Amino acid sequence: MSLLEIKDLTIHFPTEEGDVRAVNGISLSVEEGKTLGLVGETGAGKTTTALGILRLVPEPGEIENGSIVYKGKDILSMQEKEVQDIRGNEISMIFQDPMTALNPVMTVGDQVAEVILRHQNCSKTEAQKRMVDILAKVGIGADRAGDYPHQFSGGMKQRVVIATALACNPKLLLADEPTTALDVTIQAQVMEMINELKAEFQTSMILITHDLGIVAESCDSVAIMYAGQIVEYGSLEDIFDHTTHPYTIGLFGSIPSLEKKVHRLQPISGLMPDPVNLPTGCCFHPRCPYADERCAQEAPAAAEVSPGHLCRCHYWETVRGKEAEDNV
Amino acid sequence: MSDTLLEVKDLCKYYKTPKGALHAVEGVNFSIREGRTLGVVGESGCGKSTLGWTVMNLHESTGGSIFFQGEDVTHPTKAQKKVIHKSIQMIFQDPFSSLDPRKCVSDLIAEPMKVMKITRGKKETEQRVAELMDTVGLARRYAFAYPHELDGGRRQRIGIARALSVEPRFIVCDEPVSALDVSIQAQILNLLQDLQEERGLTYMFITHNLSVVKHISHDILVMYLGCQVEKCECEELFRHPLHPYTKGLLSAIPIPSIHVDRKRIVMSGEVTSPINPKPGCRFAARCPYADERCRSELPQVEEILPDHFCACHKVRELNEL
Repeated sequence: MSLLEIKDLTIHFPTEEGDVRAVNGISLSVEEGKTLGLVGETGAGKTTTALGILRLVPEPGEIENGSIVYKGKDILSMQEKEVQDIRGNEISMIFQDPMTALNPVMTVGDQVAEVILRHQNCSKTEAQKRMVDILAKVGIGADRAGDYPHQFSGGMKQRVVIATALACNPKLLLADEPTTALDVTIQAQVMEMINELKAEFQTSMILITHDLGIVAESCDSVAIMYAGQIVEYGSLEDIFDHTTHPYTIGLFGSIPSLEKKVHRLQPISGLMPDPVNLPTGCCFHPRCPYADERCAQEAPAAAEVSPGHLCRCHYWETVRGKEAEDNV
Repeated sequence: MSDTLLEVKDLCKYYKTPKGALHAVEGVNFSIREGRTLGVVGESGCGKSTLGWTVMNLHESTGGSIFFQGEDVTHPTKAQKKVIHKSIQMIFQDPFSSLDPRKCVSDLIAEPMKVMKITRGKKETEQRVAELMDTVGLARRYAFAYPHELDGGRRQRIGIARALSVEPRFIVCDEPVSALDVSIQAQILNLLQDLQEERGLTYMFITHNLSVVKHISHDILVMYLGCQVEKCECEELFRHPLHPYTKGLLSAIPIPSIHVDRKRIVMSGEVTSPINPKPGCRFAARCPYADERCRSELPQVEEILPDHFCACHKVRELNEL
């Protein structure tokens, strides 16, 4: 059985201008000890999905539909108290921006110890001891536990955020763009650390990112999100070697390559749709080179390209054939 | 060379801070030929933006000299300033904060032309604005829209149109695509390349993104804490990086393919402070090969291979040259 199974999750934000349809019926599952990459551009609904799992969707957002089954129990039908016991304990989150995720008037040691005191039945001294251990794991010496966040650099702050998330040995880690705010050399250090700790504690992870390079290095399976839907879903190999959805192809075409010399990039034309006013039919059709009448009217269901590899496109077979031709 | 557009010699820029002098740029040398792109790469705080600002004369340099079209413009006269600001333009990093929120698109694009007195009369200005909007791919229906109504990609197009409006020869692009999503980033990169081909523009392209810099540049300058560590032709840098920092930087980039098998050199430690730096090589604290000499003496930039410059005491030993 999967550790986490999401079915038909729909999250909307009712506003004066209409419903912001951030997440529209996504289904995914995370296996024990594995990493799922959630990839997409700004506004695709990645972060909202993660917040939904923790039941932390900000006002006026509402989870309209779906189920989030964690270890056989639906998080959405739990009492608030139960969710609080899971949050930060069994499921924890690494936030994107380490500059704003920490409390500026609390020492980093206290922030890490706070989580331990809340969830683990232990004394203050015991919590202090564990706090020092976990800080050492992320490479911060005990002498810095009394420092405040502003005394740390960006990379060090992100380590503190990670320490807070790992303080109670979570079963599932939601990492929301954990390295986007960091420089590449620091990013390499942090990713290596996350992967080591993950292996050590047998933690599962949902890694939210827009960087396909990071996905290639750290994930086991990948979900590509566009306008609140998962448009392509499969193993690392399915997505990187047998790319099928036109949007995923466009994403790969947009990244300048370090290996090959291409004179011009092949970007996706147009812009992300407005989530208040999503296009009819397939959300991607206004930007898709393969789109026709049918795409504008009828939303495609997820087709199974090969076992476990899903793709939401009416014409995936055509796209597939065309791609194979181009690669020859 | 005769077609050198911009040349910078031993450029230094220090800022005064309460704790001492902040060495933002230290002894940088480069020249850019007409119609080429020089990529400037480095991590945050390495002085790449300061370098751009100093070249544009928005900040006065502390030492060294800048030559534009063979003329010394380090301390420009009023007349020279006028020429520089017309010939050198800048595209800023953040399309959200670099545009006046109270001006509409057509006013924003017309502003530099009015200031520089390029167009005469309202009609001519309007026509130029319309032309520029076509050039950068902004639909004319946005002429009276305000920046907050537009997304990052379109805002960045306004920034480009503003820079182009005075018909410059040289554009300093300061992280023009870092704030954009990949699909939009690719559109803007293609636009910049097209403009260069059509108009023979020269770019100085400042970024921290190595795959972007590889895609767009002819030559690359790698900076670390204000110092130039390596400079050479683009392909050469990716094929034979010489400096230990460049090697580490290149190996740190995650590659979007599952068939690449490579050894990552993880650099330990973090960037040290640029305020009153220690006398040695700036990279010594993080360099796995550093010895006594590296910690006491700042290495000079040397031409190690033809057209390949590097500042490292141990470069020959490490690369078996």
